[in-house]
Amino acid sequence: MANEVTLTIDGKTVRVPQGTLIVDAAKKIGIDVPVFCYHPKMEPVGMCRMCLVEVGRPVMDRATNQPVLEADGTPRIAFGAKLETACTTPVSEGMVVITQNQKVASARREVLEFLLTSHPLDCPICDKGGECPLQNLTMGYGPAESRFLFEEKMHLAKHVPLGELIYLDRERCIQCARCVRFQKDLVDDPVIGFYQRGRSLEIVTYSEPGFDSYFSGNTTDICPVGALTTADFRFGARPWELKPVASICTHCPVGCNLTFNVRREAASGGKLVIKRAMPRQNELVNEIWICDKGRFAYHFVESPQRLTQPLVRKNGELVPASWEEALEAAAQGLKQAGENLVVLAGGRLSNEDLFNLRKLADAQRGKAILYTHMGGGDLTQQVGLTPGSNLGSLGKGDAVLVIAADLHEEAPIWWMRLKAAAERGAVLVVAGARPTRLERYAAKVMRYRYGEELNIIQSLMDGAVPELSQAENLVVFYGAEGLDLLGTNALAQACATLLYRSGHYGRPNNGLVGVWKEGNAQGAWDMGFHTVGNYTRTLSEAAAVLIAAADPAGDDPLLAQALDRAGFVVVQELFLTETARRADVVFPAQSFAEREGTFTSGERRVQRFYPVIYPVPDCRADFVITAQVARKLGHALEMASPAKVFLQIASEISHYQGLTYPRLAEVEEQWPPVGRSDLYYGGTAYDNRQGMGVALPALCQQQGWQLPMFWNDRLPERTFELAAMNQQGMVWLVPFNRLYDRGTTVKPSQLLEKRMVSAHIALHPETARAVGLSGVEKVQVEGLDGPLPLVLDETLPQGVAFYPRSAGVPALAPRGVKLHAVKAEVQEG
Amino acid sequence: MNELLQTYPEEVKQILAKYPAEYKRSAVMPLLYLAQRKEGYVPRQALEDIAEILEITPTEVASIVGFYTLYYDQPAGRYRIQVCTDLPCALRGADRFLEELCQRLGIREGETTPDGLFTVEAVKCLAACHRAPVFQVQGDGEIEYHENQTVELTLAWMEQVREKVRAEKEAQS
Repeated sequence: MANEVTLTIDGKTVRVPQGTLIVDAAKKIGIDVPVFCYHPKMEPVGMCRMCLVEVGRPVMDRATNQPVLEADGTPRIAFGAKLETACTTPVSEGMVVITQNQKVASARREVLEFLLTSHPLDCPICDKGGECPLQNLTMGYGPAESRFLFEEKMHLAKHVPLGELIYLDRERCIQCARCVRFQKDLVDDPVIGFYQRGRSLEIVTYSEPGFDSYFSGNTTDICPVGALTTADFRFGARPWELKPVASICTHCPVGCNLTFNVRREAASGGKLVIKRAMPRQNELVNEIWICDKGRFAYHFVESPQRLTQPLVRKNGELVPASWEEALEAAAQGLKQAGENLVVLAGGRLSNEDLFNLRKLADAQRGKAILYTHMGGGDLTQQVGLTPGSNLGSLGKGDAVLVIAADLHEEAPIWWMRLKAAAERGAVLVVAGARPTRLERYAAKVMRYRYGEELNIIQSLMDGAVPELSQAENLVVFYGAEGLDLLGTNALAQACATLLYRSGHYGRPNNGLVGVWKEGNAQGAWDMGFHTVGNYTRTLSEAAAVLIAAADPAGDDPLLAQALDRAGFVVVQELFLTETARRADVVFPAQSFAEREGTFTSGERRVQRFYPVIYPVPDCRADFVITAQVARKLGHALEMASPAKVFLQIASEISHYQGLTYPRLAEVEEQWPPVGRSDLYYGGTAYDNRQGMGVALPALCQQQGWQLPMFWNDRLPERTFELAAMNQQGMVWLVPFNRLYDRGTTVKPSQLLEKRMVSAHIALHPETARAVGLSGVEKVQVEGLDGPLPLVLDETLPQGVAFYPRSAGVPALAPRGVKLHAVKAEVQEG
Repeated sequence: MNELLQTYPEEVKQILAKYPAEYKRSAVMPLLYLAQRKEGYVPRQALEDIAEILEITPTEVASIVGFYTLYYDQPAGRYRIQVCTDLPCALRGADRFLEELCQRLGIREGETTPDGLFTVEAVKCLAACHRAPVFQVQGDGEIEYHENQTVELTLAWMEQVREKVRAEKEAQS
């Protein structure tokens, strides 16, 4: 290629694209130039001087513009008088770089001497000890003695909480600014900064709460010393005592690759316990990042509140029972129900669990229903992203539409990657009823009123944003904000129609992505689960219900009543939820960390997770429980291993064809290299050795694909009439998503307690006035128990009442409601 | 409630007018001087106020306060006496001058006189080596140089300032 240059590094010749930095060119041929401030995911700054190398360039004859040759015919190389920083110097043709000689070694020694003037060298008690480049470099190049006066070492605070999640040790900080730059440049949360200068410099935060960012944990990964540590892992263990186990985060549809670090420890009674959750590199999914929910909200796995034995209802009470007894009771109940069985499952189960649950429903001629407020999973199968897609490759010429979703709250790593795509030149269009954080990077923001989502899609089809319709590639993310099941179905159809009409489907970096609430919702659709329009009626009319990983009774009192009217109820759960309390039989299930399986991400990448800790005694994997119940009913379902269930999945579900566990465990070389104790230090994110997963093909790529139910004509203008609803004195009650909610799998992580959203109702002040709620502190929502605190917010749209989802407000999907003021109670007596 | 905006509505407007709207964060430094005008230091609340006006984070405002030596984050005397003690000044006796001055005032370097009027600080290079001992005085929004100083001269000047302040007070009451 014309825009490549050839250079020599330590005698090895390498050819790299123009503009490549010396440090990266060296790494490409396996030569480590040590760095602290440089990080391959960030712009270089050249602050720490650790990467000094000797650089020579060919001498050019000014008259002829040809290289001057030595007597032996080789070009004459002129070396600079001083060393240069490999992290800020781009390569040039004929360059000669020396990274190993006396001059460079001496520079390294001297830079280290400076960095260590006030560094405490407290490696024996430092969390980073064992995975610290400063430690490694000091051992490799550091001076045995310093010329600085020992008495003049600065003694600084060692336990500075930057909020309750991240701690700063001021003595250890070497001022590389990786953390500050990450927060400002990569996630646009400049909530930590440098304060003072020189030896007095410290990292400060003035946000409330401190270090207020969903990405804060990543700074502890890229910190090249032990200055930033998490409250979760701080003084928890030494890195070399820990075993890495690959897993997948279940909290949102991004499907971030994780590595759990575990060890057996006396402090936990000799048990194998999780010490920390770390990102595992997958440049196609989460790169080397995870959000703080993924990092800190895994504690539900080890919660003492977990169910540990089967329960069976006797004389109206749930009492402990043996597995045999419970399985027998469940089978009896389901047998009596006959064909009127409803299997209701949540999207945090694995594909194997969901597959067996659906097989059981089929065998009993029942219904397999996904517990969700969001539809469209059948369409993401048809025109979803295809193999070869990578959000990290979107840029100039590409376009992304995000509608009815707040990605910063719902899928932070997608937010981060789309922000980066926009900065690389992709046309980002964000459509929403209220402002969201992604809009800052949007080429166009489209505001609508709830109910008018389809209008936006119609206008895009009419060419409202030509850069979007005419883009080479187009990815559409659709969410469910302000929409019920019918609404999301309609929106998904509209988005699919948009993609179809503009030809943006069936090839890489094109297609439809659902912003699901649960990690494996897409997998549930793929395994054959469907939605129903009316959960209340479906539940109350069922003769028997088998519920797995869903808590309808806890979400909505109407669903609780419906469940009470249902016949026989069997629940497979981690916790004694409201739903489990109403069951006739409760089975204690294993969490994802105790067994293996697969999840399918929102981008439709199938990924494996592995057993992290030993199972809680007497808990069984969901697919096993289902298969054991099925066996009692006379159906043979696979239960030998998840791998065997997966083989069935691969043989029965067309787009999973050809997939096997070994195939999902394949990895490929990734750039930049991280996690291998390199001196080219990318951070403590783990190297991916356990599988990058496989992207599913879209059904539209298959031969003979027929266009499903897309719209032919113009789209309906509205899904409902907000104005008419408001005229009747009602408001549209809309749940909004907050990253830190109080859901079943989040609440047990006490560390996040302070940041979890609390139940409340939020209104625009005008709307509050219109419905007679000015100056009111608490409101009663018609049809819901208990008053809720009222918050006024001018940024919200009018005619709508908001509440945080999964935070204790017992309502699942949007609906029209009346609000009433609650008078302050007067204590009598 | 934005205190800074309320106290200095006109001044804030004038400062913002000097910068294009999309680069209004550049107004952070003049706004910090404004915030420092009354109390001689930047109070915590002012970080929030400036951040709100400029649509940046309080942390970003704070890092400017931290970086530049002419912004203060702690209250001090109304006048800051800043003595240069770098090598050329020391050769002309600046270090002894500072030591003796502190002794006579009964305070240590960095401290404030009991009447709250003067804070004595050591600083680096005032670019007046040839007239050392030299100090600059920061206060009442102005900076003033005092060169070729002796402790007696300085104490006499301080007395004049005290007189002036007393007179001001009487005029007010």
